[in-house]
Amino acid sequence: MNDKVKYSRLTACIALLVFLVGIPMASFAQTKDKIRFGTAIALSGPYAPGAKMTQTTVYDMWVSDVNAKGGIYLKSIDKRLPVELITYDDKSDVGTSVKLVEKLILEDKVDMVLAPWGTAANVAVGSIVNKYEYPFVLISCSSEKLREMIHTMPYCVAILNQPRDQGHDLVELLKEFGIKKVAIIYVADLHGIEFAGYTAPQLGIDGIEVSILKSYPLGVKDLSPILKQIKAAKVDALIGFSYPPDTWLITEQAKVLQLNPKVVYLSVGVAHPPYKYKFGAQTIEGVMGPGAWSLKTPYPGVRDFAERYTKRYNSEPDWWGGIITYSALQVYQQAIEKVGSLDHKKIANVFQTETFPTMMGPVKFVDGFNIQFPGNIGQWQKGNFEVIMPKDKRTAAPEFPKPPWPK
Amino acid sequence: MTYSTKFSRLIPAFILIVIFALLPKVARPYTMISLGSIFMYVVLTVSWALFSAPTHYISLASAAFFGLGIYAAAILGQKLPLPLFIFFGGFISFLLALLVGLSSLRLRGMYFTIFTFGLSELIRNFVQWWEVNETGTVGRWVIQVNPKMVYYAMLSIVLLTLGAAYFINRSKFGLAIRGIGESEEAADHIGINVNASKIIIFAVGTFFMGAAGATMATRWTYIDPSIAFNPLYSFMPVLMAIFGGMNQIFGQVLGATVLTLLADMLLTKFPYYYMLLYGIVLIIVILFLPGGLVGLKDKIMLWFKRKRQGYETT
Amino acid sequence: MDLSFFLDILIGGLIMGGLYALIAVGLSLQYGVARVLNVSHGEFIMLGAFATYSLYSLIGLNPILSLVVSGPAVFLIGFFIHNTLFKRLRKLSPSIEAFEGSSLLASFGLLFIIQNIALLFYGPDIRGYTYLDNMVDFFGSINAANRLVALLAAVVIGLVFYLFLFRARLGKAIRAAAQDVTTAQLMGVNIYWVLGLCFGLGALLAGLAGSLTSMMFEITPFMGLPYTIIAIIAVVLGGLGNILGSLIGGLILGLIGNIVMYIHPGLSLIAYYLIFLLLLLIKPTGILGK
Repeated sequence: MNDKVKYSRLTACIALLVFLVGIPMASFAQTKDKIRFGTAIALSGPYAPGAKMTQTTVYDMWVSDVNAKGGIYLKSIDKRLPVELITYDDKSDVGTSVKLVEKLILEDKVDMVLAPWGTAANVAVGSIVNKYEYPFVLISCSSEKLREMIHTMPYCVAILNQPRDQGHDLVELLKEFGIKKVAIIYVADLHGIEFAGYTAPQLGIDGIEVSILKSYPLGVKDLSPILKQIKAAKVDALIGFSYPPDTWLITEQAKVLQLNPKVVYLSVGVAHPPYKYKFGAQTIEGVMGPGAWSLKTPYPGVRDFAERYTKRYNSEPDWWGGIITYSALQVYQQAIEKVGSLDHKKIANVFQTETFPTMMGPVKFVDGFNIQFPGNIGQWQKGNFEVIMPKDKRTAAPEFPKPPWPK
Repeated sequence: MTYSTKFSRLIPAFILIVIFALLPKVARPYTMISLGSIFMYVVLTVSWALFSAPTHYISLASAAFFGLGIYAAAILGQKLPLPLFIFFGGFISFLLALLVGLSSLRLRGMYFTIFTFGLSELIRNFVQWWEVNETGTVGRWVIQVNPKMVYYAMLSIVLLTLGAAYFINRSKFGLAIRGIGESEEAADHIGINVNASKIIIFAVGTFFMGAAGATMATRWTYIDPSIAFNPLYSFMPVLMAIFGGMNQIFGQVLGATVLTLLADMLLTKFPYYYMLLYGIVLIIVILFLPGGLVGLKDKIMLWFKRKRQGYETT
Repeated sequence: MDLSFFLDILIGGLIMGGLYALIAVGLSLQYGVARVLNVSHGEFIMLGAFATYSLYSLIGLNPILSLVVSGPAVFLIGFFIHNTLFKRLRKLSPSIEAFEGSSLLASFGLLFIIQNIALLFYGPDIRGYTYLDNMVDFFGSINAANRLVALLAAVVIGLVFYLFLFRARLGKAIRAAAQDVTTAQLMGVNIYWVLGLCFGLGALLAGLAGSLTSMMFEITPFMGLPYTIIAIIAVVLGGLGNILGSLIGGLILGLIGNIVMYIHPGLSLIAYYLIFLLLLLIKPTGILGK
């Protein structure tokens, strides 16, 4: 290796280094003229469909809504500042989410971080922002395991209804219908395990027979073997703790097999408009799923939100997460306004102590988790996703038994 | 080779090491994080190339070893200090690699490659199944570690990996490996223990992959089988090595560094188009520099040479 | 165990196996003849799926009829890509091994590009339509009509393709090129035209498979990669360079997958990969490989 080559390589390395370290970022000392929110969320990759429907679209809508009113008012400087949202693509990869969030915090110097999509990403990002002492609302995070860890994350709160809330209501609903025999199938992943892990034993305790309890792998392409078994077992209720692709698969294959139990409850994906668009309102009539809110949810702004969302995005909103995401943003705004500044410690404290009047109702975090929801279970009735549990939040009487699948 | 040549060769390396070691004192905090990712891919690429470049056996099992390291950190992180569980991450990977190497001895070429891929996916699905059924959980928390320590740990692993690659390259063992790459039969005839050599160098590389995994896991704080055993960690080292120039350590390092920086830059500046741009860069580079980026230096020197000679020769 | 149970397993396995066989043969053409390990194969499947979906939603075109559109469209794209990008790469490469490396990198680039274009055009939303989701009772075995139609279509496509390869002159030229590129060239075969044709045909099969899957499964811009992986596994299992082997490989994967689902769904993925690895260990050059 001669000298020329050696030194050209060295120069190349050093040039690379200077580029990395040097160029002090263009951080002109600016007067604060806007409030910067940042998020690293799945714009591509397998999580992107869910992320767009539940969060990204709602984030963008909220930013326009807030800025249409001039922004968020900060008492400390007696000014209303507009909101800016920086969105990065985390490629549905948690490692990338974490890195990009650190970039948002350390380089882009955002004032607040908004949640990514998916339980794993929410939890990982939550740990990181907690380390940097940023107040943070976990949104699309459904995991009982989090209860063990959240006390180590004092800056974080979780707004979504959890397996315990929805599982409990599901069991109550089945008891109300007098169901005696159920089949439970679940995807062999966090969501499936947690829900099945809560529901199956609870049903047993309440005297309901779980005659079939089977898991299936992610990405499954054919569930007819299990479904045929379930049909032969003549159960009263089919419960599937599933992800959207499997929710679709189970629906289609149950319809083909004319598997008609009195109750069909599937999981993620039921409350999502694409489900209705693919199968049509008549086919999905009576199918139940986690959620939930509807146009009749009695809190200010709900109907308006749904109509504006539909007009802007040419699709109905997510009937589980739609207003939950918006409410999370309302929590951020209300906390900022209450504190009067962007002081992270004070805002985090407000998260833990105050009650927030939002679109999903009064949000209150106890031990880090929200305790009040517009609904836990919904059911498609004549093309509308009605809230049917908890009882006191019902927007329509549950349709029981579910009409048979159209032939 | 004279004494002075030997020393002067290593001086640039020393300078760079010193710079990287002192960096945390002067650079912006995010630089440490950014470099951490670069170090990770450099380790993955160079340790992958340790075996796959000279022998031409393209392994797609890197994710399995990297993921094992991640799980080592998740499981042992509470109980053991950082250097220890990093070492364990590497060691467990090493052991698994011995098994993988032994089992795949009969396979050649693309069959070997897809076999290793299948193995990696088998391990991912197995860990998922194990977590679901035996442990009742899917995700695990990893202890958080001071970012400076993570940086120095990754830096050490990078240096060890590069050092290992450099010295193996110049050793008789390295010669034997290259001989195997040229012709396994001929190498066997000369008396090289082909099977043992292949397995050893394969396993040595995976040690560093596991160690890197254990280190990076502390950055991510929450992991599950899909995150840890993501097939991307198997594909990217291959891409990066080809992109940078597969047959030289410098090419491998260059490929890993440039592609990681490129991805970072594109991701943040063009969130909606970055895949398009990234793909275009890949294609343009391979069209004009089929030997990888290292060829660029030659092309530039050639261009300068032509300029100096004037246009008479054209 | 009665007849209907066996038929369930067999038909279910053949449906997925038929699809896998189509995409495996497609990839085999691209790798075996054109020597491109096309990791963007799945993206052509995705394009076929979107084409059928769009035609169905916009003008109500019957998905089966849309095969006539989606196939040739994807073929043209594949042919064009080969005769611009891969042809140039081939000419630049000093050896076939170097070409395999650089074409691998290029096909990764294609993967990212095609996926991003689809993402920009359609957005990340999950889409689907329903077509023929009625029950068909075949000697006690119950299957969805759309799945049976997909199986039938796969069989027909396979037959047509077989006839083409073994009867048509062009098909013979392809087989000649598959055997020995240099000799074929010496015999007067316009080699780049044939290679481009092979690559395009591979893409065509992918596009047709995509159209068929769109009847049964969800459609997103990211649906391609899992299919690419299955295709690669099937091609390797069947024996590299052997088109019939790839077909068998695809069928076997579909059947194994189905059988394992019946026995123990929770362990099915593990069993699936384990069986694949064992088969490779038993025959390290693939089922029909040399």
